[in-house]
Amino acid sequence: MSFLVEQLLNALALAGLLFLVSAGLSLVFGILRVVNFAHGVFYMLGAYLGFTAMAVSGQFWLSLLVVPPVVGVIGGLLERSTLRFIYRRPPIYQLLLTFGLALILEETVRVLYGPTAKPVDAPALLQGAVPILDTLYPRYRLFLVVAVGVGVRLFLARTRAGLVIRAVAQNSEMADCLGANVPRVRTLVFGAACALAGLGGVASAPMTTAYLGMGIGVIVDAFVVVVIGGLGSIGGSMAGSLIVGAAQTWGAFYLPETAMVIMYAVMGAILIFRPWGLFGEEE
Amino acid sequence: MTPRRARVLGLVTIAVLAVLPWVLARHQLSILVDLLIFGLFAMSLDLIMGYTGMVSFGHAAYFGLGAYGSALLLIHFQPPVPVALLAGALLAGAVAVPVGWFSTRATGIYFAMLTLAFAQLLYTVAYKWRDLTGGSDGIAGVPKTTLFWGGPSLADPHAFYWLVAACLVVSLRACRALTRSPFGRALEAIRENERRFVSLGRDARPFKVVVFVIAALFAGLAGALFAPFRGFASPEVMFWVLSGQALMMVITGGIGTLVGPVIGAMVFLLIQEVLSSYTEHWMIFTGAIFVLMVIFLPGGLVGTARRWMEARG
Repeated sequence: MSFLVEQLLNALALAGLLFLVSAGLSLVFGILRVVNFAHGVFYMLGAYLGFTAMAVSGQFWLSLLVVPPVVGVIGGLLERSTLRFIYRRPPIYQLLLTFGLALILEETVRVLYGPTAKPVDAPALLQGAVPILDTLYPRYRLFLVVAVGVGVRLFLARTRAGLVIRAVAQNSEMADCLGANVPRVRTLVFGAACALAGLGGVASAPMTTAYLGMGIGVIVDAFVVVVIGGLGSIGGSMAGSLIVGAAQTWGAFYLPETAMVIMYAVMGAILIFRPWGLFGEEE
Repeated sequence: MTPRRARVLGLVTIAVLAVLPWVLARHQLSILVDLLIFGLFAMSLDLIMGYTGMVSFGHAAYFGLGAYGSALLLIHFQPPVPVALLAGALLAGAVAVPVGWFSTRATGIYFAMLTLAFAQLLYTVAYKWRDLTGGSDGIAGVPKTTLFWGGPSLADPHAFYWLVAACLVVSLRACRALTRSPFGRALEAIRENERRFVSLGRDARPFKVVVFVIAALFAGLAGALFAPFRGFASPEVMFWVLSGQALMMVITGGIGTLVGPVIGAMVFLLIQEVLSSYTEHWMIFTGAIFVLMVIFLPGGLVGTARRWMEARG
């Protein structure tokens, strides 16, 4: 019983991180019609900047607050200087452009931080473990489950920005008509999505450390999430994250050699019935 | 370009390819073989990307399958190289059938993401199935055997170069013929307007699956050449980075031209070769060059050159 709870919490913690990344991916697609291949690199950037912020200030909460906006600004600047010139081209060009950006950013991080992984300490408050039933569960993971779950829910449901995000994800043309400055909204949305990925990165670092290649790992998972859930749908990202989180956690336990295969098998099964994802709409 | 000019250019190219091995030093020749192999790989991607409008982000999987197929066969049974080439290509094509069937249920970006997901799955299998693939170490010591049973050895660098060059030229001709056939015209119709194609009473999906498998066959052939040439096959040859690089080669050279991607692959790898001799962080510069190319040269090298020539008449 306690084992089941532990696995469930693990799945939820993973799902929370995946959601932060895939929601941004989905948001950018829903509004800009761009699949941002560099999105995972912003996640990695968040983790590394979190490491730096911790090294400088020693304050985890501060870095959790400061890093996402920084990542967002970097993302916004990149959108302004490159992507905005090619919105009229077929979607593949934007995907390839962001692939180029991903290469540049990944290698830049390697230059700045070197090839070794950087560990990040969880704040004192969240170190150690709490007893749940008769096992000990790491506090930090529990924090991820609760904070991400509740935080995202409140953000989307109660804030004005959350309202706009839901509105634009639902019907971007109508949102345009209601008087949004389109180029500016694009930059802001792109930046906001990068900030979300950055937040995911900072939050994940104490669990996974900051390492090169974490970006591509997460972007492939996030692709699976949005394929399952449907691109451009926030609810779909949430459902997809839960499914992938569960498939990976239970897969890793019961069939350690083939955990990845389980995830793709689930994806394949869903696609047979819903080629556009659970919540997606046919293009 | 007029057909006559095109034919002259083709003959000149073949002549240059024939002369090069006598001019180049040994290590330059081996770089050239590399360029030709990846040229073949990029060309195979152009079949689905340029002619059918389906962007695969997992094409490296078929290159890798070809490489593993031919490496395993050569290591365990030492057949002539062409047998291994055939086996590698067929393995890639066989795996492409279910993947293509699944992936073509979706279109556009969904298709790209599905192909990437399947490729990463195959990469994981290659990585984890240690008994068969050697895991992360891969398979080393793949021999360059003979051209046919009892025939001449291909261990000689010149001999292997001729084999690779012949494969590239024949594949290029075959793909060119394919794109000009009724089947190829149907693919272009799907690319231009799939809905209209369907409303004319044709089903687009069989065409898409078939061209996906054909592209995988040629990618597998390239991979099957790669394994004996380099002497190894490792999971890196199926990694997403290679899939992305293949897209870059196609875009650099010129999408939908077949020849363009071959040239794109050569230019791309040469840039990488030169940059990597100056700095170990060459990825920053290839990334930047690529971003600039996407923004300023949408037709790629060949597309831009063609437009330039047309403008001059």
